[in-house]
Amino acid sequence: MYKFRSATDRIELMHQLVRDRVIPVDTERVAALTKSHKKNAKVPPIIKTALATYDICSEMTCRVEDFEIIVGNIGKEFLGSGMWPEWDASWLWQELEEMKLWELWDDGLYHRTDPSGVHMSMSREEINSFMSFRDFWKDNTVTSYMDSWAPEGFEEVAGLGILEMGSKMRTPIHTGHLVAGYEKIINTGYHTIRKQAQDWIDAHKGNLMGNDVDKHMFYKSAVIICDAAINMIKHYGQACFDKANLCKDECRKAELMKMGNGLMWISENPARNFWEACQATIMYQILLYQEARHPALAFGRFDQYTWPFLEADLKSGSITMDEAQEIVDAFFLKSNCFYRASNPKIAAYTGVGVTYHHTTIGGVNRDTGEDATNPVTYMILETVGRLKLHDPTISLRINKNTPDKLWDCAIETTRLVGGLPLFQNDEVIIPSLVKELEFELRDARDYGIIGCQEIVGCGNDYPAGNGLHGKAGLGSHGNVLMTALNNGVNPSNGKKGGLQTGYLYDMKTFDDVKSAYKTQFDYLHKWSVTIQNYVENLSTFYAPSAALSISIEGCMESGKDCTVGGAKYNSYGGTATGLATVSDSLAAIKYMVFDKKLCTAKELYDAVMANWNGYEVLQQQVLSLVPHYGNDDPYADELMAWVTDIYYENCCECYSKRSKYYKAGLYGAAQHVVQGSVTIATPDGRNTGQPLADATSPGQGRDKNGPISVFKSICCFDHGRYMDGLALNLRIHPSALSTEEAKISLRDMTKAYFENQGMEVQYNVVSSDTMRAAQKDPKSYKDLVVRIAGYSAYFNELPTTMQNDVISRTEMNSL
Amino acid sequence: MWLMSENIKGRVYDIQGYSVHDGPGIRTTVFLMGCPLTCLWCHSPESQNYDFQLSWFDMRCIGTVKCGLCINVCPNSALYEREPEKSLIDNSTITKINIDRSKCDNCLACTKVCPANALVPSGYDISLEDVFKRIIKDKKYYGKDGGVTISGGEPMEQFEFTYAIAKRCKESNLTVCVDTTGFAPGENYEKILPYVDLFLFDLKHMDPKRSRNFVGVDNELILENAKLIAKNGGKLQIRIPTIPKLNASMENMMKTADFCKDLGDAVTMIQLLPYHNMGTTKYLRIGLNYKLVNVDPPSDEEMQSYLDLMLSYDLPAQIH
Ligand code: SF4
Ligand code: SF4
Repeated sequence: MYKFRSATDRIELMHQLVRDRVIPVDTERVAALTKSHKKNAKVPPIIKTALATYDICSEMTCRVEDFEIIVGNIGKEFLGSGMWPEWDASWLWQELEEMKLWELWDDGLYHRTDPSGVHMSMSREEINSFMSFRDFWKDNTVTSYMDSWAPEGFEEVAGLGILEMGSKMRTPIHTGHLVAGYEKIINTGYHTIRKQAQDWIDAHKGNLMGNDVDKHMFYKSAVIICDAAINMIKHYGQACFDKANLCKDECRKAELMKMGNGLMWISENPARNFWEACQATIMYQILLYQEARHPALAFGRFDQYTWPFLEADLKSGSITMDEAQEIVDAFFLKSNCFYRASNPKIAAYTGVGVTYHHTTIGGVNRDTGEDATNPVTYMILETVGRLKLHDPTISLRINKNTPDKLWDCAIETTRLVGGLPLFQNDEVIIPSLVKELEFELRDARDYGIIGCQEIVGCGNDYPAGNGLHGKAGLGSHGNVLMTALNNGVNPSNGKKGGLQTGYLYDMKTFDDVKSAYKTQFDYLHKWSVTIQNYVENLSTFYAPSAALSISIEGCMESGKDCTVGGAKYNSYGGTATGLATVSDSLAAIKYMVFDKKLCTAKELYDAVMANWNGYEVLQQQVLSLVPHYGNDDPYADELMAWVTDIYYENCCECYSKRSKYYKAGLYGAAQHVVQGSVTIATPDGRNTGQPLADATSPGQGRDKNGPISVFKSICCFDHGRYMDGLALNLRIHPSALSTEEAKISLRDMTKAYFENQGMEVQYNVVSSDTMRAAQKDPKSYKDLVVRIAGYSAYFNELPTTMQNDVISRTEMNSL
Repeated sequence: MWLMSENIKGRVYDIQGYSVHDGPGIRTTVFLMGCPLTCLWCHSPESQNYDFQLSWFDMRCIGTVKCGLCINVCPNSALYEREPEKSLIDNSTITKINIDRSKCDNCLACTKVCPANALVPSGYDISLEDVFKRIIKDKKYYGKDGGVTISGGEPMEQFEFTYAIAKRCKESNLTVCVDTTGFAPGENYEKILPYVDLFLFDLKHMDPKRSRNFVGVDNELILENAKLIAKNGGKLQIRIPTIPKLNASMENMMKTADFCKDLGDAVTMIQLLPYHNMGTTKYLRIGLNYKLVNVDPPSDEEMQSYLDLMLSYDLPAQIH
């Protein structure tokens, strides 16, 4: 059995600070950004953005704490956060004006402790300063450009309340969902990248023809961004020296000097050792955040791109394994410090306190296809397990030759830290990337996972996963179905805007029902992609990303920003969650109305519209008689396969100016809860407001035949088609992992699922009793971590609706 | 020898996929109804009777205001409304029912109308074919160690059915375990032996008198059968439910160890199963009271001492 060890004192100290974090919000970034934008008002956006990043990086405070071995902050203080008003900060301005959620504490700071967001604090001075920028940004946000004009018909269809976008074209955050080219940054260095850009500019001086003008602006932005990085990293190097000068402890002093020298070196050059590789990755991450509030910058295959450095260090004897482990601990704790203050509405979907630095480990070697497990793979699980870190999400890539020792370590981790790691199946994903997205084999083997679950190329892909700006895509599929059965009116809110597909009670056959759903779904899904295309078209003009483009393969080569198609691979996509609610509803209609004739279509329609009030017996019959997805029953599973198929087929018809591929995905962050809350009762027996099923998982509590039946059900459709990712959440009772043999059985079951073409699974090992106890006595369960869907969280920090959702899922028991 | 009909039926109370504690690897466990023993700590009291009983799942009842169907169909007026109470699900007021077990004759009429599965029969009849289908469909997940476990109740009570399942599964290359109390005619063990890879064999008490007190029967036949299986080349995984005050004593463990030692190679593993009282709600479902109220689970140290004892005899043993 794998055993976790304890961490060093300074790591434990940092861990406590992160665990009990309060995010100090400051206006340093806003001030520098606003000044820069005013100065460069008429400069084209691609240059203006780079110049603003440069100004922010030049003026930012660079702090180093006593306990830090990996340095860097995105805000003025340790754990601090800036603000990103260029997208949309209206929520914060409004909150600070109303001051309902912010209260003055004894420490003289205003605190926002509402559970809808992470605990934040601001001083009166910061608040005043922040308010002073409000006027400038009111009409200058990217969102305001989107909202000014929309395509015909948008208002009506948006009024339906089914598009996730809502009634406005809001784009509150940047697309940034990807694995940036960390490997390139640490192995190439900013000096070389800058030189490449400058060489092009020099060679074309006074000779810009055709597209050269665009290229020239792109390369210019690259030069400016490299200078920004170099500047910032040197400041951090200097901060280490300054700290060293004041340091009394000789040992720490030497360490700080070494860190300072290392930073000075990596400000321009490739990393030389493991520490520099880790520190350079963090510095690059900070650069990206100073540029924009990228929502999901995943670290990719951290174990693969850092191991060569560690291997060399170990050979030369310049580091011990324990020292390396401390660096890995510090790296992931540091990544937990980069929480970007954000709109609580987004937080409700995407997780309070989640940073989305998804990290991928294990898998195969991109050149040989052999298993690529290395010591860093274990170190990352060690960090997650011993610190019980719920964030970042870790994906473990499994292949035929994944060592048993790694399985053991991963299952021990999952027992302690709910849902981590996610198990991803290389044997399905790699060939599918080649087949579905035309990846070269080497790049397919090098895939990583971002956000909740999205599959991407590492450092060569601009995937814009999960919809374009985090909020695109279709909302509740439950509402799509209900609108289809209610003649184009969304019964959840009474709004018109869908196609007139008839009423359930007028449908003569089950095929009529299916065809109504398909028609409505096709119509609404195409609309959602239309809006994504529209937003992408506009936002890329206002929101280029030089900081990303310098590292992503293809951009520097083509002279094109990644947001407009410079990357080697381009795709985008959306995601569907809760399709089991739709397919179980269809199964209920088929069974109750058409096959067994236990009720009429009108009765079922009326029952659902009445939220089953007065129809409770019928509701119970639906719940107990109708076959549900997740029980290895073809009656229900065939309908799930059909629902997922029409979704995939529709996605295949979608594309944008930048991307040939619109990827289908079957996962969600926690949308199933949020979407469920605005969805009327559904024919599967669900009540109004209850969560939808999550991701591809069976409806909550409806899988009654154990995990193998769930695995067999989910394999009723082809996972390889869902290249935006797929998630299956299974909750396992701890007693099913109480012996070594039982742990091996979990491994073997997962392996068998993967051999049967399963793509992903994640396990919550927690009993309902424990979660109920935690609800009653949160203090005693401070470290209880569960996975809601697309992210893991401390149980106590989840809203009650989400806590109850996890409890309501079937607990896979074993006597 | 009796003739086995192909469409033989048996009576089960549950079939559980992904069993990881009933024999090696991943298994499907078929729990048959009926048991000649009456162990005080029984974890599945609903399986003791071969005859169906009325099982009650309180949480599922949606109340007589919304439903109440059961009350009208009971021919013995055994069902009645209780006082309104707060629903544990949504805090609303709900009026559930009570069962007067003295009037109920387990006719099961109410289970046919209850839409919520709050009133259900304690088991169901199933054909060999259907049991086999349920078992074989998970075949890809069994790996080389896993397979089927036939458990109970006491599966040897429905010997014809148990034999048929074992034979059918063995012929399909599945490994077969039979989880038995050992209390069945010896000849049946001999008959089924060729189709059984491993007997999960409970040894509850070595002392005849105490055995009778705690499990309701003498242990003589049980011990004889263990020897018989060993003699005929069968494999045994000895399972000792370890229950403080009842059988958890050094003396009993030593006698058990001596006995296992004599069984020789037949014993592949001795599993010490620490007592837990998680089965208590099941008693309420069928209107019984749990009798072992004053017994707590054994401490880890106590379990370890029994394990050490077994190991000192050079026996393969583990705490499970
Ligand atoms: S089993 Fe028969 S007698 Fe017993 S409560 Fe139900 S209907 Fe009445
Ligand atoms: S029939 Fe079932 S759900 Fe209805 S009142 Fe009786 S026990 Fe409750």
